[in-house]
Amino acid sequence: MKVSVDDAVCVGHGRCYAVAPEVFGADDNGHCVVHRAVVDGVLADKARLAARNCPEEAITAAD
Amino acid sequence: MSDQIPTVNPFGQADDPIPMYRELRECPIGRMDFGQKRPSFVVSRYADVRYVLKNAEIFSSCEAIDIGNDRPMIPLQIDPPEHAKYRRLMDPYLGPREVAKLEDDIRKLTNQIIDGFIDKDQINFHEEFAVPLPCTMFLRLVGLPIEDMEMFVGWKDDIIRPDVEWGDVEAAAEIREKTGAKIYDYFGGVIDERLANPGDDLLSEFVHGEVEGRSLTKEEILDICYLFILAGLDTVTATLDCYFAYLASHPEQRQAIVDDPGVIPAVVEELLRHETPVQVFPRTVSREVTMHGVDLEPGDHVLVVLGSANTDPEEFEDADEVHFDRQDNRHLAFGGGPHRCLGSHFARLELRIALEEFHKRIPEYSVLAGAGVSFSPGIREVADLPLILTAEGARQ
Ligand code: HEM
Ligand code: SF4
Repeated sequence: MKVSVDDAVCVGHGRCYAVAPEVFGADDNGHCVVHRAVVDGVLADKARLAARNCPEEAITAAD
Repeated sequence: MSDQIPTVNPFGQADDPIPMYRELRECPIGRMDFGQKRPSFVVSRYADVRYVLKNAEIFSSCEAIDIGNDRPMIPLQIDPPEHAKYRRLMDPYLGPREVAKLEDDIRKLTNQIIDGFIDKDQINFHEEFAVPLPCTMFLRLVGLPIEDMEMFVGWKDDIIRPDVEWGDVEAAAEIREKTGAKIYDYFGGVIDERLANPGDDLLSEFVHGEVEGRSLTKEEILDICYLFILAGLDTVTATLDCYFAYLASHPEQRQAIVDDPGVIPAVVEELLRHETPVQVFPRTVSREVTMHGVDLEPGDHVLVVLGSANTDPEEFEDADEVHFDRQDNRHLAFGGGPHRCLGSHFARLELRIALEEFHKRIPEYSVLAGAGVSFSPGIREVADLPLILTAEGARQ
């Protein structure tokens, strides 16, 4: 599964790297950085969970 | 059309706002009359609140609030794209990496505060815990004297909750004006002092900070300070009041935290959602737009009700209930869009540590029998929260 974040939409709530720290991290401003752009199994589930917890809907996690 | 819009009051029922939120969402656009020239429209469904927050070019923050300030507060009342230049300067100081360095300090202070009342059987939670913890941390972070905490908290209260009859707009404006003048005067002095003697505190960073290759003007720094005092000294206190008022009257959920502290990060989010301490904030329409058949005109006011968005069943399953194991939680307690709360990473860290340390040392507590728990509207604090600390043997 491929994971990406739309930098123009992310405002740094930090929900993604809180629920899926293996997949996402933070830059100095608290905005999202994708650590792993391709994931499967448990990490794919976590990436989807992160996408569902982002209030800005900035994350795409799709096959 | 506009005479069919129901008149509502999103500032009512702060003690138990959920039924009121449900009614607001049914409208779904309500109207509140403040005696202003232009109407205030009340937006309450999750999708509509998101739409307002996201579209700053339609819903401006510039004129939306007048609370004794001479100029727009920075960055709260600055619209994009200008807004971003200030956030670029400020965000790193309150980003997750920077605030994580405060964890040990927060934990130590939390324990010192608990030491102060661990032998008592009853405390006023608000005064003895919810005020000193976040206010001390905030003053340390910004670099202001802790001895003056009462003065800062007094200013903040006079602006956010001026002590006047509900609806007496003129008396409130007068108090805010006077207090505002004191804030400008005080910070004018502090800024001069930091220009001469920079420290490693936040205020020094702002005083010496740059936007677009130039230093901030003194007025810009004042406009940041004005907001900081209001935003930094009130909200975490109110949130702690909300959390502990809830947990003190829900023993099973309190016990769930004691049994498994690993659940605390989820508790922080779920109670932020369910309690939504900052219930409502304003915007001003800057472009014609129609919502649910209601035409909004430039200059109209909009009240965004975060609390009703956060309990909207269209977005949340079992929205009115507290579930610590809730998987999907896109709550908007810190707002959203470009003005997402600058202090959210700092606030979350303080809230998590407060829950961890308090429950470690005081696993059992309840609200004093017969005490009425009353929340202030707008930003929900409980100024009088008498807690009985039970099971002395279990305290440590
Ligand atoms: C749990 C505690 C807190 C809650 C619930 C909260 C809530 C909010 C909300 C809802 C907004 C958005 C306002 C809008 O869009 O008009 C906001 C903005 C802001 N908050 Fe907080 N806040 C909290 C703690 C803090 C703290 C501790 C600080 C300072 C250290 C802070 C500083 C700010 C600032 C500077 C803004 C303006 C951001 C901007 O306009 O870009 N907040 N907060
Ligand atoms: S949760 Fe969304 S808005 Fe927040 S940091 Fe992650 S991607 Fe950005």
